[in-house]
Amino acid sequence: MKGINPLAVAGVTAIVALALAFVGSDYAISFSIQLLIFLVLAYSWNWIGGYAGYSHFGQVGFFGIGAYVGSLLNFHLGVPWYLAAIVAAFAGAATAIPLGGAMLRLKGPFFAIGMFGLSRVLEAFALGFDSVTGGGTGIYLKPISDLRPLYLVVAAVALIMLLLTWKLDNSRLGLKLLAIREDESAAEALGIPTTRLKIGTFIASAIAPAAMGSLYAAYLGFIDPPTAFAPNIELTTIAMVLLGGMGTVLGPLCGALVLSIVNEVLWANYPQIYLACVGVIILLAVLFMPRGIVNLGAKNGWFAIGRPLFRQLAARQGQAAS
Amino acid sequence: MPVADLLVGGILLGGVYALMACGLNLIFGVMRVINFAHGDILAIAALSTVSIAVGFKLPFWVAVLVVPIGCAAFGALIHVLILRRIEGAPMIMSLLATYALSTILVNVAILIWGGGYSGLPGVLSGSLRILGINVSLSRLVSFVCAIGVSLAVWWVLEFTRFGRAVRSVSAAPELASISGIAIERVRLATFALGTAMAGFAGVLVAPAFAIDPQLGSRFIIKAFAVIIVGGMGSYPGALLAALVLGVIEVVGSYLAGAVIGSAFLFLLMLAVLLVRPRGLLGAGVRV
Repeated sequence: MKGINPLAVAGVTAIVALALAFVGSDYAISFSIQLLIFLVLAYSWNWIGGYAGYSHFGQVGFFGIGAYVGSLLNFHLGVPWYLAAIVAAFAGAATAIPLGGAMLRLKGPFFAIGMFGLSRVLEAFALGFDSVTGGGTGIYLKPISDLRPLYLVVAAVALIMLLLTWKLDNSRLGLKLLAIREDESAAEALGIPTTRLKIGTFIASAIAPAAMGSLYAAYLGFIDPPTAFAPNIELTTIAMVLLGGMGTVLGPLCGALVLSIVNEVLWANYPQIYLACVGVIILLAVLFMPRGIVNLGAKNGWFAIGRPLFRQLAARQGQAAS
Repeated sequence: MPVADLLVGGILLGGVYALMACGLNLIFGVMRVINFAHGDILAIAALSTVSIAVGFKLPFWVAVLVVPIGCAAFGALIHVLILRRIEGAPMIMSLLATYALSTILVNVAILIWGGGYSGLPGVLSGSLRILGINVSLSRLVSFVCAIGVSLAVWWVLEFTRFGRAVRSVSAAPELASISGIAIERVRLATFALGTAMAGFAGVLVAPAFAIDPQLGSRFIIKAFAVIIVGGMGSYPGALLAALVLGVIEVVGSYLAGAVIGSAFLFLLMLAVLLVRPRGLLGAGVRV
């Protein structure tokens, strides 16, 4: 039984995604690209925020770094978007290595404050060093004529993230991270190298967002500091993970699907209250559903088909105290 | 380089940071909650002050009275509706909750006041000439009031029954509870007091700075820097660090431009986090 169902979910998702590439309208493709980018961000955040339990308010910093690295390569050297995204991923990792070593020596609230401030300072730098980044004017890239290849790349990355999370969830490593989340001192006492694992998780969770930043810039054909380091990207990502279920394999997927549809409706009808609505969703999730849709569904037996899977998930995960 | 002008400007700026950071510190000390919405409460208080003085044409002192009380009531509401319900939950929950609250407040402020800048040019305008340095009257008054209130709250914490209760809940909630202190009521009062301090800082900011709904996110980072450098939970540390950081920001902005100037603060904060996470005067806070 173990693990069959996440693979099934991954398989179904892959088939649907592939089919969409051939039959989907331009609108569907465009919407799906945004959804999948957020899905990748959510899976990345889930590693450090959901499994290791570190509230990471600076992921959008890596997104922004990736967006600028990719856009500048594309703009100045004419590097195609897929190569630019790979370089951006390396740039994300290269930034995360020293940063992780420094920031992960900090615990809970100190880490949260540090990363929150860091993403804001990066935005300030992007605005301030306007000779490189174009400042507030931004950079205009050559628009991509066909979005389908971009869509397939993002979908593939999302699928890989899902499978990696599934691997992680079924590994000793995943259990160690959960132990850090539940009680870091106890984990350390049991001989888990907490600092090293946290730094590793932090770096791993920075790579994909940087690549996504670059792809997002290519998708928009434009980048400026408020877009690259947008707090609402951070907020939406966290809301997706929280809503779906932190530290679960399918939580980010559930959260991203639900919230993307909500977002689309909100953006279309009430763009001016978008941020407040996402904020309210997070608040409600924190107050009434801290273990997310996945665990709530498992408890109430909503998913008759996937029941063994969800029972398995619910038995293992979820916040300690809710 | 006009050393004296910069020094005075920086210290005056530090006064407002001190008041804000002390409120943040107080809340963290007692509740172990980082209030990401603290800066946005300040921004809304400042915008309300402008509305009271310009929109309703009431005298400035009405805002001085009404706004902090309103903020205290709002803080009590937040505590009852949100924070009290997630007290036993992991820390990430309260971080997410106040982070979400901050977004909601910014959004609501933009809906009410619009995204543009406003200010109170008519109140406390002009400047004084002290020892050959021009000092803007509004900044001087806001500095004096901010430091005054910060010291008053410090006095309350050190020398009154309520203050002793607050400090004991901060140091050891279980023992405080055994000693018969109603810790829930102390936490409620502390959170209300902390938000009232943010509100009062907002009132003081209104005549001296240009205000917009995004003001909160700029101020909160500086307040974070202040409490980290001064030491989390340390009241005198926050006061001292606020003044030092005010000077560093003003001097840095003069030397390298505003963007890099505020980045100095952040780099200093990072350095302190890495070298001495408990801060300059911090006693080491359990988290």
